[in-house]
Amino acid sequence: MTAVAAGSGAAADLEAGKRKAEVCAACHGRDGNATIPGTPSLAGQPVYFTHWQLIKFKDGRRKDPQMTPFVQSLSDADMADLSAYYQTQTPRRRPFATDPAKVVEGQRLANVHHCTSCHRPGLTGQEQAARLAGQDFDYLLRLLRGFKAKTASDLDGTMTTATQPLTDAEIVSLVHFIATLGAQP
Amino acid sequence: MRLIPSRLWPSLLAVSLLAVVLGVGLVTTPPASGQAPPPWKQGQPADMANSPLAPIAQPPSPKAPGEIPIAKIKVPPGFKVELWAHGINNARAMTWGDKGTLFVSSRVAGNVYAVVDKGGQREVKMIAKGLNQPNGVAFKDGTLYVAEISRITKMPGIEDKLDNPPAMEVVYDILPRDLPHGWKYLAFGPDGKLYFNIGAPCNICIPPDTHANISRVNADGSGFEYFAHGVRNSVGFDWHPVTKELYFATHARDWLGEDVPSDRFDHAPRKGLHFGFPYCHQGDIPDPEFGKGRSCAEFAAPLIKTGPHVAGNGVEFYTGSMFPPEYQNRAFLAQRGSWNRTKKIGFRVMMVTLRPGDVPKYDVFAEGWLDGDNVWGRPVYTKQMKDGSLLIADDYAGAIYRITYKP
Repeated sequence: MTAVAAGSGAAADLEAGKRKAEVCAACHGRDGNATIPGTPSLAGQPVYFTHWQLIKFKDGRRKDPQMTPFVQSLSDADMADLSAYYQTQTPRRRPFATDPAKVVEGQRLANVHHCTSCHRPGLTGQEQAARLAGQDFDYLLRLLRGFKAKTASDLDGTMTTATQPLTDAEIVSLVHFIATLGAQP
Repeated sequence: MRLIPSRLWPSLLAVSLLAVVLGVGLVTTPPASGQAPPPWKQGQPADMANSPLAPIAQPPSPKAPGEIPIAKIKVPPGFKVELWAHGINNARAMTWGDKGTLFVSSRVAGNVYAVVDKGGQREVKMIAKGLNQPNGVAFKDGTLYVAEISRITKMPGIEDKLDNPPAMEVVYDILPRDLPHGWKYLAFGPDGKLYFNIGAPCNICIPPDTHANISRVNADGSGFEYFAHGVRNSVGFDWHPVTKELYFATHARDWLGEDVPSDRFDHAPRKGLHFGFPYCHQGDIPDPEFGKGRSCAEFAAPLIKTGPHVAGNGVEFYTGSMFPPEYQNRAFLAQRGSWNRTKKIGFRVMMVTLRPGDVPKYDVFAEGWLDGDNVWGRPVYTKQMKDGSLLIADDYAGAIYRITYKP
């Protein structure tokens, strides 16, 4: 058995996490790299991020027709193990057709709107802030539009606040930029 | 020096992109400080844009008992520390039910818990979940009151229905929805009114007239009014057992320096005082931006400067009989600890002895959650038990400690 502290208090069990992740693989990929458009990749996500999202799906603050029923049976240990497992998986960039002009504009916007303050340089994520680099285009678009509309669940309000000044065209450009970051598929 | 994008993107900028990005930035990009950064970063000076300082992340799960080194907690001679309850994710404020149930709030975990003492064993029940940062809990006449970001609700008769909690009934729900400093401490004052904070929705700004205050409302939701103004964010207060006057802790602004401004412990003997935010900090430092044209003499000065960035949360006057006589009417201040300071400070419970005609005495009561530079716990609120012992909630470890005294 491999146990890691994983920064989440109670020691998580990576082997158990891998086993428990088998039911997640159909949508999120065996190694946490999803291929279905609109479904986020979990590989390389910070353990705090994944764990908090699972908690929010379970208590109803975050809602999704597929995730909401799925998480109801998860125990605290299940959530810790799954989060620890996905953090150790290597993220790959999702396939995506780049619009170079939007990428440049998106980089400018990411800069002006301080995305790296929480999501780190390279938007690789940390603690409760998600890894964004190379994430699925449709998923990022849906989430950012949701934060702007104040309908997406936000752990502490930071994303809702951050997206208010953005126009929809700016959100699209930001997502073009973010989706091009990270390792090639 | 002009703030340019490359300062924020050191690891991202491909050399070939540099000219393009700089071109765009210089033509159309205002300085980054002109846009709204995340609240915690707001007010950060340009020359600190690359500072590694950031708020300490809240773990998503509580620590197991074996991971909570209570032996590291130091208390005065004769006092003893025990782990009273654990497994309470993000445990924050505490209030007692009439029948001996301890109700415990949380913030980002979104839960309210009931802890039932079963003679040496504590059973933790979740009585509400998925709430919007329900930091405030208060109890009166069989009813639990809960404060979330923008509303106060109640659960009548909750102590008889812990396994089947009643629906939450709205008491007052027209509070601001801002999330920064929107979470609330909630307590009944000696006048029977519910008191709570409406924090400044920023690190530093001219807040709307509706924010940066301590407010109160009747338990039936009527009679809302502001009580204290110019309070950046107070998430802990109590009333003196003898004078019945309000004392409160306030978190001071960030990014002004390692050692300034100090957090505050304040006294509000009457309604309507202004405590200086955002014009004046710690009673004697005008804000470099918003203090222009104002004077610190206009505002109520702090009773105690409690230390820079210490994050003073819980305030509670001791009225029990277990601790030595000199502890009567002392205030315990729980300080959750700093993030906006290179050398960490706080992570302790202080005590204040008020002295008529003299400055208050301010001493350490319990410390040790900061171990070198490593944070393993964050004391956030205290609550006296019936027998005079003292509970301390730790939201980082998801635990509650009990301090007892034996001569």
